Amino acid sequence: LSSVPLQILFYVNGIYYIFYFLATLAMIVYKSQVFSYPDDLLGPDLALLFIMAILEVLRLYLGSKGNLTEEEAPLGLSLVITVGSVILSVYFLVWQTYVLKADVIINVVLLFTYGLESVLKVIAIAAFV
Amino acid sequence: AKLCVCDLLVAQCDVNCCCDPDCSAADFSLFTTCSIPLVTGDSRLCSQKAAIYSLDVEANPPERIFKLIDQVNPSVFCIHATNYKQAFSFSSPEMPTSENFDQLLEQFGSASFSAEPDSWNMNTDAQNPSDANETYRYEYGVPIQTVDAFLRLPSPVVSSWCSDANPAGFLVNQATKCIRSVSVEKCGNIQAVSMLFYINSSILAVPKSSQMVNITVQSIVVQSLNGMRTLLNGSDVLRLPVILDELCINIVLGVSYHITYTDAGEIIEAAASFVLGAINKEALSIQQSFEISFTQVNTKPVPLSGNPGYVVGLPIRAGFRPQGYPFHIRILFAALVLNTNKYSQLTILQSTSNQDCLAAQGARTPILFGYNMISGCKLRITAAMTCQPLTQTLLDLLKGQNFPEYVASFGNSQAQHVLDWVPITHLHTSEQRIYNTFQSSCQIPVSLEIEVKWTKYGSLVNPQARIVNVTATITTTTLKQLPSGRERTIPITSSVVFTDISSPAEPGYKAWPTINAKLPFDFFFPF
Repeated sequence: LSSVPLQILFYVNGIYYIFYFLATLAMIVYKSQVFSYPDDLLGPDLALLFIMAILEVLRLYLGSKGNLTEEEAPLGLSLVITVGSVILSVYFLVWQTYVLKADVIINVVLLFTYGLESVLKVIAIAAFV
Repeated sequence: AKLCVCDLLVAQCDVNCCCDPDCSAADFSLFTTCSIPLVTGDSRLCSQKAAIYSLDVEANPPERIFKLIDQVNPSVFCIHATNYKQAFSFSSPEMPTSENFDQLLEQFGSASFSAEPDSWNMNTDAQNPSDANETYRYEYGVPIQTVDAFLRLPSPVVSSWCSDANPAGFLVNQATKCIRSVSVEKCGNIQAVSMLFYINSSILAVPKSSQMVNITVQSIVVQSLNGMRTLLNGSDVLRLPVILDELCINIVLGVSYHITYTDAGEIIEAAASFVLGAINKEALSIQQSFEISFTQVNTKPVPLSGNPGYVVGLPIRAGFRPQGYPFHIRILFAALVLNTNKYSQLTILQSTSNQDCLAAQGARTPILFGYNMISGCKLRITAAMTCQPLTQTLLDLLKGQNFPEYVASFGNSQAQHVLDWVPITHLHTSEQRIYNTFQSSCQIPVSLEIEVKWTKYGSLVNPQARIVNVTATITTTTLKQLPSGRERTIPITSSVVFTDISSPAEPGYKAWPTINAKLPFDFFFPF
């Protein structure tokens, strides 16, 4: 049977990620206006944010599909992509050019969500195999 | 210590500056207050150390109290961490060395420079390709480009010696005179006295293009040693300086460039007229004069009296409507015949030393804008003079042969634009009231007063003079028949008065923005 908590978590994650993306984008714009943010540091930050958005869409789609069709292959792929998303989230938490307190808060929440999702995915894969 | 902003004097104690490390306890006892109570780093950091200074005035002597606290920024957008080292301080500029001088010059050598040195090169490369698609054209004042550099108009710079580096500006009519040192032995070597120097490089039709306009030789005038000038017939031949009988002939004494341009800012023709002269062994220097003038294509060069408003001191431009056109036609083809002969312009009688009106025929002076003038003469009337010819003579005297019908309202009005021209209104007044109109008395004109009403037009900062109304008033008086043998002298006057009728300037404000709030058409749909 498909895991209902995992599906709920995917849904909540999707909504939260939209908020996260818009908030981070707005804060990068704010930082570029208020602080001295040279172009060769602004470029990579923005690029990584957009890459993270693409990975997130892919990840949620594959995970949701795998969970609903009870197949372990898409779930496994989604788990692998989660690793990439975690690395990017850590980048925005620690290695970004300017890390504001708000950045810290939303990234910690995102990492927590990723952690919970990963645990549930592993349980679901174990159940489907 | 770096963060103490009141520490201005180096190695000396600043007054009332509690964070100054150069101050000793004895200095602190003389302070009255601390000008900077709190010294922190960037206040946008989430938590940072701050130093609080205060002065304890109760203690005797007053002493400084120093406390170190942790200051927390409560905002959620405070900087938690940063990976960019230069974020919190101004970068000190690089010292120029021989390696980085070129790069620094490129970065800081122009009127503005970008804040980020690495992206500077990217920006200049990105701008040039987009400029290449624009069509260039000459604008007022832009130096005229030739194949190698600029069209040169040698002019005196600091002293009267010629400098060849003065470029001619587009549409800037210039005339310069300068002195050049020459000698007969070197006359073949000095480039600037040879005709070739002035016509060999072709002018570019538009800036940065490959279309070239050759400079043609329009005319050559040869000036002999005693100053007599003759115009040469065949002006195609290039005459280079050559030594002949201890004289050096064909030395350029003057060049006059005439450039024809289109209204799109393109040069289509260039011609040069030369004055060539000769120097002998004793001559050490010659004076050269240079001139450049611009004419728009398909127009006759007309001296403007202002652009666009009249300039005080320049003559008023006037003209006639060609015969055969009815009064009220305002169509494009009803162009005015512009008279460039200055004596057909608006002119006034010129007073002569011999004040007899009938003797001084035809001396007239053009009316200059802004200059009120009055002139006159004395008319001797004898018994033998009859009315009608005398009236006609006086009218000719006062008005001149070609009194114009229209006056240009702006200094640069073109003849094709009929609405830019103001008709001259004629009035007749009589000096004495005629009680008996049936009395056949002779009225002779004795004075002409031209009143030109002008107004300031355009912006407050740079108002342009515009002629609004021109009225010519002829005053007549009765000519009483004289008994034979007697004669009378009456004064005849003509005057020009310029009146400023400009209304005071009013500030203009933009309209208040209106709130455009309307409900949609079917907002109350069910009803």
